[in-house]
Amino acid sequence: MIKFINVTKIYPPDIKALNQVNLHIKPGEFVSIVGQSGSGKTTLVKSLIGEEKVDKGKIIVGGWDITNIGQREVPFLRRQIGVIFQDFKLLDKKTLFENVAFALQVCGQTPKKIKAIVPQVLKIVGLEGKARRYPKEVSGGEQQRAVIARALVHRPKILLADEPTGNLDSINAEEIIELLKKINKFGTTIVLVTHNREIVNRLRKRVITIENGVIVSDQAVGKYML
Amino acid sequence: MFLLSFARVIKFSFQDIGRNIWLSIVTMSILILALFSVNMLLTVNVISQAAIGAVKEKIDVNIYIKPDTEESKIMALKAQISGLSQVKDVQYISKAQALESFKEKHQNNPEVMESLKEIGKNPLTPSLVIKPKDVDQYQELIVNLNSIEDDIIESRNFDDHKLMIDKINGITDRVSEAGMVISFTFIIITLLLVYNSIRVAIYTHRREIKIMRLVGASNWFIRAPYLFSSIIYTVVGVSAIVVIYYFFLNLLQPYIETFFIDYDINLAAHFRDNFINIFGLQFLVGIVVNMGASLIAVSKYSKV
Repeated sequence: MIKFINVTKIYPPDIKALNQVNLHIKPGEFVSIVGQSGSGKTTLVKSLIGEEKVDKGKIIVGGWDITNIGQREVPFLRRQIGVIFQDFKLLDKKTLFENVAFALQVCGQTPKKIKAIVPQVLKIVGLEGKARRYPKEVSGGEQQRAVIARALVHRPKILLADEPTGNLDSINAEEIIELLKKINKFGTTIVLVTHNREIVNRLRKRVITIENGVIVSDQAVGKYML
Repeated sequence: MFLLSFARVIKFSFQDIGRNIWLSIVTMSILILALFSVNMLLTVNVISQAAIGAVKEKIDVNIYIKPDTEESKIMALKAQISGLSQVKDVQYISKAQALESFKEKHQNNPEVMESLKEIGKNPLTPSLVIKPKDVDQYQELIVNLNSIEDDIIESRNFDDHKLMIDKINGITDRVSEAGMVISFTFIIITLLLVYNSIRVAIYTHRREIKIMRLVGASNWFIRAPYLFSSIIYTVVGVSAIVVIYYFFLNLLQPYIETFFIDYDINLAAHFRDNFINIFGLQFLVGIVVNMGASLIAVSKYSKV
């Protein structure tokens, strides 16, 4: 599903954010990528969604070589990869329903399909009763669920979660991880970027550890090692 | 699907304008001012052309004939002058006709009429009224008329109408130059304001744009609402100037009619007859200027 082949990214003057990274994530896997701040996690995420171009190597997503992806192709890549960030990035003046529908509207989906899809994904994330609420009227965990729902509306093959629990308390964080596991069971590949030791250790899934832009460990059932 | 996206672009565009309503109003106001100055320039041009036409119409040269000259001699002189290449028309005014015209002109002036009665006879002389073919050949005509030696000529009246025309042309040119500078300044201000409005609109919507990019909206879909906003600015600006300017012309018309008495100058009709040329061109130029400014702003600031 995702392949990084000898990928190197250098920020001027000579900071190697990614150094000869080789990575292969299979379809349906749940992979945690861990590392300290500045280790290269964010660069890895950005290069995966076409926000950063790498200097060397090759990145392949679902058989598509995105190494030198053009600006016009980026939107099509983004529809295949759902992205969740630490800051929820919801629009305050739109309800949760409208926030989720917005992702479909901007991609030209018809109102009829929007009305059919949005309640389904809100149900998957457990927000079926709160569709008409505004982001400020729900908890942080529920806001993050809405973001996950928005990421799911395009039925992506990959869900990329960059510190999705960073702004949440332990109970809400646990609920979000359970939701990601549930989505993974449907067959979606999950890439979880985090530095939350407890979550990683409890998941008992594959863990890739990055340090100074280099993969220092890749364990099939791993633990947070740093 | 394209139509649906297009409809959403329009909707988002109106939302952008609504959320930055004051900035949008200022932008459109400056655009209206720019168009107003352009139309004022056109109006000045129409009025000055009318003024020049009126002066040209009034230009003539008079040769006064000795009172008791035989008509056959006068006719011979008339024929000689008519033969000059710079002459359009020569009209013979007899003593009686001159008196008639004088009386008509001064009929409301009892002192003049009384004086005329006291004289007891017709004191006026016959004359030849010469109209030049082209104002630019006026000096040549004067030289030729001066070279005619004939005993029957009593006096010649060669007022310098050419100077008057040159003065009108000079004033018109200066007004046009000033108008062009004002219009150009307004166009530059409009360009900067539209650019800034779009920049502010993008800044206001940076979170929304970020989300759009994140969920896979195309560049076209992200940028189009801002470009469409510039079209809305132009449509509103030109529509407003049509209404405002016709209102202004209707206010101006009575003064123009008073000034150009006996001349048919209808400014509103002129603008109506040339509606497509005047306002259509302003719309096209407005679209090009505004979309150009938006395009630069969007390509520079929408990469959030």
